Parts: sequence; C-alpha cells; structure tokens
Amino acid sequence: MAVGKEFIKGLYKENPVFRLMLGLCPVLAVSSSVNNAIGMGVAATFVLVCSNIFVSLIRQWVHPKIRIPIFIMIIATFVTIVQLVMAGFFPALSRSLGLFIPLIVVNCIILGRAEAFASKHHVFISLIDGLGMGFGFTLALIIIATFREVLGNGTWLGMPIFGPTFQPVLFMIQSPGAFLTIGMLLGLFAWYENRRATKKHG
Amino acid sequence: MRDILRFGATLTIVALIASGSLAWINKITRPRILLQQETELNNGLYSVLPNSDKGKIDPVLDGDAILYYKGYADKDKTEFIGYALLALGTGYSSTIRTLVGIDPEGTILGIKILFQQETPGLGTRCEEIRSGETTPWWQEQFIGKPSLGIAVDKDNGDIESITGATITSRAITNSIAEQAKTVLDRIDDTHP
Repeated sequence: MAVGKEFIKGLYKENPVFRLMLGLCPVLAVSSSVNNAIGMGVAATFVLVCSNIFVSLIRQWVHPKIRIPIFIMIIATFVTIVQLVMAGFFPALSRSLGLFIPLIVVNCIILGRAEAFASKHHVFISLIDGLGMGFGFTLALIIIATFREVLGNGTWLGMPIFGPTFQPVLFMIQSPGAFLTIGMLLGLFAWYENRRATKKHG
Repeated sequence: MRDILRFGATLTIVALIASGSLAWINKITRPRILLQQETELNNGLYSVLPNSDKGKIDPVLDGDAILYYKGYADKDKTEFIGYALLALGTGYSSTIRTLVGIDPEGTILGIKILFQQETPGLGTRCEEIRSGETTPWWQEQFIGKPSLGIAVDKDNGDIESITGATITSRAITNSIAEQAKTVLDRIDDTHP
C-alpha cells in the first residue's frame, strides 16, 4: 500500500541526511553524542509532522508566489510553541533538549518537505511522509553520533565501552570529526548503491 | 496591482494568526515558566548551603536587585551557615550562571550550575554526571577550596580544566572568584 512506501522511503532510499543531503547543519552540531542525537531527532520529527500537516491543510489557499514566507512563519511558530510549552510544563525534558529546539527552525528538512511534498499532497500522506523523514533523520543522527561518541569519548549513551586505558580521539567530538564521519558514510552509501546498480544491470 | 494586494492580505492574515497564537501560548505558559525558574533557584540555594533546608535563606537586596543570600540552618536564624552567590561568567557560547555557597571565610560549601549552553560533549561536561554517581564530577573539586583567588590549572590554580573546554572551565572558575570578592568586600565594608 502506498502509505507504507511513503514511510519507508525516508529511512533509506530517500534518507534526508545521506540521500537528500538536507539538515546537515544541525546534524554536524548535534551528533557529538547519541543522547543528544535522539533528543534532536525526536523533537525535529514532532515539528516536521506538525508542519507537514498544517502546510497540507492550507495548501489550497496559498498562492505559490508567497508560499515560502508562509511556510517559514508556520514552522517558526510551531517551534516557538513547542519551546514555550516544554519550558512551562515539562521542565526536565526542556533542560535536556532545550538547546536543540531553536535549532530546528533552521533545519532544511522541514522547509524542504513542506515545499516538495506537503504542499502537494493530502493531509494523511503528508503526515506519513513527515514520520518517515523524521525517523530517517533520527536514524542518520544516531549512526553518526555512535561513531563520534564511541571514538571521541569512549562511551555510547554515556556508558563506557572501553576500559579506563582508552585514549579517546578528541577531534571526533569536534567539528573535523563530524565532517569526516559524514563524508565517510556518504562515500560508503554511494559505493554500495553503485555496486547494487552494476550488479543489477550487469 | 491586485495580485500585490491579495498577497499582502494573505501574508498579513497568516502573520496575525501566527503572532496571535504565540501571544496566547506565551500568556498561558509564562506563569508556569516563572514558577519553574523560582523552584529551580530555591532548590539550588538549598543544595549549595548544606543543612539550610530546615532553616531559612534570605536574600540581601540593594533596591530591587538581589546581591546575595544569607543561609541559616534553623528557622530562628541563630545558626548562620554562610552566603549563596550567583556568579555570571562569559563562557564559550553562553553566559554561564553558577550558584555558589560559601562560609563567612569564603570557603566553598556547595556549587550548582544553573544555566549554560556550552559546546555539547566539551563545555557541557561541566554538568556531566557519570553513571552510578549523583553529582557532576567536575564540580566536586570546588568544594572545600577557598573561593577568593580560585583559578584553573592553566592560570596556576587548583581547578583541573575540562579537556578541550578551557574557556568554559575558566569562565566558571573566574566568575566564582570575582563574585566572591565582590560580595565579601561589600560585607566587610558594611559589617566591619
């Protein structure tokens, strides 16, 4: 059924980070630990789903020429509402995720999906697309963060992996580590897809 | 021309709905947010002044501004514990707010970082709690040391900086030393 396909595509075939190359700025910044990665992924997925639903709902009344400012207004409003409600009613969650919520406004995945999908499809399928893309984003974040945290800090989700004699590769938690990890993974995915293509077509 | 008017009208409507909803949500959440901040400050005060939770903690004001707090172990204010100060330090990417409890001689009794937005994985390790423990390991080294003149190892002091987070470590440490000096000087002036 079409619904399953729209969800699954966000995980691998059209993974927003490794395929569509969207949202790379927050990915670089937030992938230094798996805990942060999960937090950012969940928050971004929530905003993405809400934004997709809203954009899809009003798609008939928005003239194409002014669609971008309207999408941005919707996204920024949602993110601020999430921020305020969390600070007021879920203070513990707000403390651990607080840094990442404002970062979601500049996450290109949200604007990208609003433009490429939600503005052209009905509400339910836009919701599914948002979920799939959000999960794919979270998955990508977790994979990158695993490399960076294990090599750069010797831990995974805060739990030590190696013994006390492990010398962490410090630059992995800093910017160079982010670029290197993402670059390597992109190369790996491209190589794998290449092999599959040549195998298929002989 | 008609297009411009139509576009203008649509954008204005969307902007009005957006700002209206935000203003409404802000109004609803504001009292709760203020309450959370107050609760966090109070919990912080009790935690940096040991034995003060059964007693009283009074703010000392200058007009409307709170300079520091005086902590007592009992409600009748006969057993004076020390002072609680709020230290502000310019960190790597945020202004770090640290609550510090000191005894009348300036020895640090307790420390709690109230707010920081430093680099995740580096500066944020100032609040990191190792699995199996209950308090941030980096902050423990402050307790028992004199607050006046406290400095990081790179400035010939006793405090071990966090690897890769020199600026954050220095900002917190220096803010404590400065605020302790300001408050203790002021106390010496008014109660010689």
